[in-house]
Amino acid sequence: MIRNSLLTAVSAAAITVAGAATFAQELPRNVRLVIGSTSTGGDTYQNSSIVADALAEHLGINVKVDAVGASEAFKALGRDSRGTTLMIFHDQSYLGNLYGREGYSDPFANYTVGPTVAINPGNAYLVSCDSPYQTMEDILGAAENGERVRVAIQPGGVSEIGFSAMKNAASVRSPGSEENLVAVNTGSQSDKNQAMWDDLADVINGSIQANEQFTQLPEDDEKCMRFVWITARSATLEQAPEAGMGDTTRDDLLQYAAPNVEVTLDGEQNFTFDKEFFFLFNPEMDPAIIEQVDTALSEIFAAGEIQERQKASFFIPNYLSIEDAQAHLMDKRDTYGEVIQQISGGS
Amino acid sequence: MFELISPLFLSLVVGGTFIGIVFGAIPGMTATMAVAVCLPITYSLGLENGLALLLGLYVGGISGGLVPAILLGIPGTPSSITTTFDGFPLAQRGEGEKALRIGIVASFVGGLISLLVLWLFAPALADFAIKFSYVEKFLIILFALTVMAALSRDMLIGIFSGVLGIFIALIGTYDISDGGNGRYRLIPPGTEYWLDSGFSLLPVLIGLFGLAAILEQAERGVPKGHSKEDLKVGGKSTFSFSIFRGQTLNLIRSSGIGTFVGILPGVGGSAASILAYSNAKTFSKKPEAFGKGEPSGIIASESGNNGLTGGALVPLLSLGIPGDSTTALLIGAFTLQGIQVGPLFIGNNPDTWNAMIFAMLVANIAMLMMMYVAIRYFALVVTVPKHILFPVILMMCVIGAYTINYGIMFDVWTLLIFGIAGWVFVKLRLEVAPFIIGFILGPSAEVYFVKSLESFGTLGIFFTKSWIAMVLWVLIIGSVAGSVLLSRRQAARDRAAG
Repeated sequence: MIRNSLLTAVSAAAITVAGAATFAQELPRNVRLVIGSTSTGGDTYQNSSIVADALAEHLGINVKVDAVGASEAFKALGRDSRGTTLMIFHDQSYLGNLYGREGYSDPFANYTVGPTVAINPGNAYLVSCDSPYQTMEDILGAAENGERVRVAIQPGGVSEIGFSAMKNAASVRSPGSEENLVAVNTGSQSDKNQAMWDDLADVINGSIQANEQFTQLPEDDEKCMRFVWITARSATLEQAPEAGMGDTTRDDLLQYAAPNVEVTLDGEQNFTFDKEFFFLFNPEMDPAIIEQVDTALSEIFAAGEIQERQKASFFIPNYLSIEDAQAHLMDKRDTYGEVIQQISGGS
Repeated sequence: MFELISPLFLSLVVGGTFIGIVFGAIPGMTATMAVAVCLPITYSLGLENGLALLLGLYVGGISGGLVPAILLGIPGTPSSITTTFDGFPLAQRGEGEKALRIGIVASFVGGLISLLVLWLFAPALADFAIKFSYVEKFLIILFALTVMAALSRDMLIGIFSGVLGIFIALIGTYDISDGGNGRYRLIPPGTEYWLDSGFSLLPVLIGLFGLAAILEQAERGVPKGHSKEDLKVGGKSTFSFSIFRGQTLNLIRSSGIGTFVGILPGVGGSAASILAYSNAKTFSKKPEAFGKGEPSGIIASESGNNGLTGGALVPLLSLGIPGDSTTALLIGAFTLQGIQVGPLFIGNNPDTWNAMIFAMLVANIAMLMMMYVAIRYFALVVTVPKHILFPVILMMCVIGAYTINYGIMFDVWTLLIFGIAGWVFVKLRLEVAPFIIGFILGPSAEVYFVKSLESFGTLGIFFTKSWIAMVLWVLIIGSVAGSVLLSRRQAARDRAAG
C-alpha cells in the first residue's frame, strides 16, 4: 500500500515536473502563425510560409500560417501567451502606428518584437512611359517649379512612407515645394495601376514583382510603365539574384536605387526603405519559448537552405537575432517617425 | 504542352474538381476556402500540376454551390444566391433532381463559353477591362443593385430591405486597402473590438438563409422529410433537355455577363449571377414565374456564375490582377513557384497557359460527369428526416463560419446574430433577398462612388465619363422601368384575382 502510494506520488511529481518543464521551455506541437495580411497571394504569406515550413521541419512541430489580417492577427496574438499563436508582419506594424491608423498600437510597447527573417526589396515608384517625368529628379524639379504632381498610394503604411520621403526631400530641397506633391489615395495595386491609366495619377507606388512586366511593354502601349525609384538600399538589392526579376537584371534595378537615384533624407544622406519581415510575440509569453524560436531560426539560417528558397522568391534573407532586430527596427522606426513628423509639421 | 499533361496532371484536375464540388456543396464552405486549404500543397507539386489542382477546385467549388442552394435553400457560395430563388421552390415540389440537372448543364455551358472567351480574347479583353474606371464600376454595381426591385414581393419593402443591407455592410473600418481613410464608421461605442472589420459576408449569408430557415421551421414544428415516393427522381424525373429549347439566348447572355463581370477586377463574383438573373427576368416572357421555380432563373444564375470562372482569369493572366477572391488565391500558386503574372505572362509561358486552358476544360467536363451521375443521390438529401438534417446543417454552418476567415470566433456570433435577424425579418415582412444583395454590393458601391467623386470632383462625371457610362445608364433605366412595369402588372393581376 505504502509502496503503491509512493510510486503514485513519484509518478505524479515526475509528470508535473516534466509537464512544467515542457510548458516552460518548448513551443506547443501545434502552432498558429498569424500574419498581418488577408492575402494568400502576397509577399507576407509567401515569406511566412517559407519560414513556417522551415521551423516546422527543424523543431518537428506543426506550423500553420493563417492570413487573418493585421487587426485580427494583433487580437489573436494579444489573447494567447502560451506560444500557440505567433505572428509575422513587416514594417507596416509600426508605420501604421506612426501614421495613426486605427487598430495599430505601438508594437514595441505592446508586443515583443522578435527576430527579422527577410526583406522584400521590391517597394518602387513608377510613371507612365509617356509621362513628362522620367526620373525622380524630374518629379522633385517639377514640384519646385510649382507643378502639381499626383502620387497614387495606399495611405497609412509601407505604401505611404516613400511618398512621405518624397515630400520630405522636396521640403529639404526647396521648402514649400512639398505642397505640390499630392497623394491620390487608392487601395490595391490594381487600383494604383488603374489610377495611372485613367490619368488620375502621375506617379504610382508599386513593386518590382507586380510591375516589372509593365516596364517591358512597348512604349506605345498605354499600360507601359517605367521605374523611377526603388526604395531599397543598394546593399540590399545587391544581394538579389543577378538575373533580377523578369527581363530586368539586378544591375538594371540598381539604377533606380540610391545612390543612383537621390531622394534626400536630410540634405546629406539618401532616404532608403527596406520592407523587413519579423516575428511578433505576446508580451506575456514565456521568454524560453521566444528563445527557442530565435535559436531555431539562427540554426536554420546557419544551415543555409532557407536562403535558397527565399532568394528564389525574390526575398533577401535577413536573419537578425531578437536583440539585434529590436535595436535595428527601433532605430528604423525613429528615423521614419522623424520624416513623418517633419511632413506633418510642415504641411 | 502535351509533355506537361501527365496522368498526375489529369488526376489532380479531376480530384480537385471532386473536392471543390464537396466544398461548394457544404453550406458555409466555398471554392475560395477549398483553394486556400490546398494552396500550400501546390509548392511541392510544381506550377502546372499545382494549377491543375487549384483550377479543378475552382470550377468544382463554384459549381458545387448549386446543390445546397437548390435542395436546402442555402446558397453554398455567395454566387449561388440567385439559384435558390427558383431551385429551392422546385426542390420543395419534389423536383430537386430536375433543378439540379438544369443547373449543372447551365454551369457546364457557362464554364465552356467563358473558357472559349478566355482562350481566344484574353489580352484584348484585358485592354478593354482597363477602360472601366471607378465611374463605370460604380454604374455596374448600381445596375446590379437595381435587381433588388425586381426581386421584391413588395417593391417599397424590398428597396428598404436592400438599403438596410447596404447600411449594415458599411459597419466597420473604411479600409485603406479599399482606398479608404482607415477610420471606423457606424460602429456602436464599445463594440470596436468585434466590429472593426464589420460583418463577414459568408456568416451573414448562411445565417440569413440557413439558420433563419431552421429557426422558422422549428417554430412551426419540425416537418417530416419528403418520402422517396414524393420525389420525382430517376424514371419519374421531369427533366428533359427540351427545357433548354428557347434558352439559347438566355444561356449565351448569362454566360457572357458572368464572363464580362469576371474580367472587371473589383466588381465581385456575386454580381455576375445577380446581373444574369436580373436580365433573364427582364427579358423573359413570363417574368412573374421567376422566384417560383422557373427553369430560366436557374439557367441564368448558374451559367452566370460559372461564366465567371474563365472571365476572372483574364485580368489575372493578362494584367496580374485577380478578377475575384478565388483567383486572388491562385496568384499564390504562381508566387510560391516564383513565377511573375502580368501582361507578358501568356507570351512568356505558352505551355503553362495552354495547360491551364486544358485543365479548365477537363475540370468542366469532370464536373458535368461527376455531378450528373451523383444527382439522384444528392436529390435524396431532402428525404433525410429534418431532426437529423437540421443539426447537421447547423454544425456545418458553424464550422464554415469559423473557418472562412481562418478561425475568427466573431464570425460564428455573426452567423447566430443574422440567423435570428433573418427569422425576425420574416415576422416584420422584410425581404431577405434584397437585403443580402444590398449587403454584398454595398461596400463596392460606396468605394467606387466615393473614389469617383474624389477623382473627378463632380456628380456630372457619372453621366459624361464615357460611352460605356451612357450604355450602363440605359441599362439601369431599362431595369428600373422593367421592374416598375412588372410590379404594376402583378398588382393588377392580384386585384383581378380578388
